[in-house]
Amino acid sequence: MITWLPGSNGGPSLKVNYTACAICDSSWGDLWEEVEGQRLFFCCEVCAVQFRNLVARIKVETGWPTVDRLTIAGDRRGRNAEARHGPAIYRCEFAYNAQGGLRAFRGSTG
Amino acid sequence: MTKCPACLERFGLGDYSALAAHLVAQADASDSGHVRWLNQNISRQKMPARELEGRLRAFFDLEGKPVSVWIKDRFIQKFYGPTPHPFPVALQHPSRATLLGYVVEHQHFLRQWVRSCAFIMARTDEPAVARYELDNLNTEFGGFGTPAPSHYELLLRMGESLGLDRAQILATPPLPSTAVGIRAWNRIASEEPWVEAMAAMHSLELIANRELVQHGATLRYFDPRILQGTEVTHETQAFLREGYEADVGHSDEALELVEQFSTGPGQREAVQATFLRSADLFDDYLVARLERGTQFEG
Repeated sequence: MITWLPGSNGGPSLKVNYTACAICDSSWGDLWEEVEGQRLFFCCEVCAVQFRNLVARIKVETGWPTVDRLTIAGDRRGRNAEARHGPAIYRCEFAYNAQGGLRAFRGSTG
Repeated sequence: MTKCPACLERFGLGDYSALAAHLVAQADASDSGHVRWLNQNISRQKMPARELEGRLRAFFDLEGKPVSVWIKDRFIQKFYGPTPHPFPVALQHPSRATLLGYVVEHQHFLRQWVRSCAFIMARTDEPAVARYELDNLNTEFGGFGTPAPSHYELLLRMGESLGLDRAQILATPPLPSTAVGIRAWNRIASEEPWVEAMAAMHSLELIANRELVQHGATLRYFDPRILQGTEVTHETQAFLREGYEADVGHSDEALELVEQFSTGPGQREAVQATFLRSADLFDDYLVARLERGTQFEG
């Protein structure tokens, strides 16, 4: 069952830029997990953990109750993201360990 | 024998059809290790097993080159390609935190290194391999008295020179990626054929091989200028210089022995797969050094 929860703009929450795995854009795998009320595809459990950790960290850093849109770029050596909540924008650079934990994170409000 | 580069499961000689079916099945189950290998080595785009079979055949094709050259090329692509591994990037001009992360995790790695080399020595009948590993054990762990301490001792002295007590270094348990690597390398060295173990372990010494830049590497392990001056401690220079001067011929010699003793049916295929598995473990382990380093920042 797909659950849709409203974001700050009244629409479905958490839009992502990738059409395949929400973290790495891979179309291998078949893992579906609900994050922020949105059912998302991941290629594997590590990517799902990475995504959940990223959203949680952004919410802690910004104090936002939800993230409406998350655009991720980069590769496994280091990624950056632009998060939006209503009109607010937050940008960050980050890297993970092999277990999906954030080992480096640097953010800025843009 | 063909082996899966993600889990080392065995398949028939040259049976890339079975390997492709296995990888697709594991990917369909969203297994992280297999999906990761496909993403990083073949494509992030899912494909049917028949198409993957052809891609695998091309990936593992030695194209008439020695397997040692294939290993070196793959190693460069993975660690020193256009987007190099972040640990050598940080090591170019390292912070105290980066070096302490190196010390704390690497002491665990070196203790396993000794076990791995000892397993290879115990399991080979080839005197040249036994002599090579004996020399390696002495250099890495035994040392040659006061004038030439072991690499392990030089590592601990580097940590002490940066203000970390030796007892604290030795008492700190490894991070998860280091622990996973140690367990896997121990299993490879003790259970897989010794020539595969040799490829798995000694290919990793390519990381400090300064001649890789002549084969397309985008950077060296560290900027050799830090071996002069006062940017890092004298003890750090002593530790880094030892590897810098030793590992060129050292890693080449090991891969030449692998080449020499992997001539049986399917042995080179198996060497390729086991090397790839070890390289993935090493990638994660190098990240663990950086992760440990963050504990010493600020």
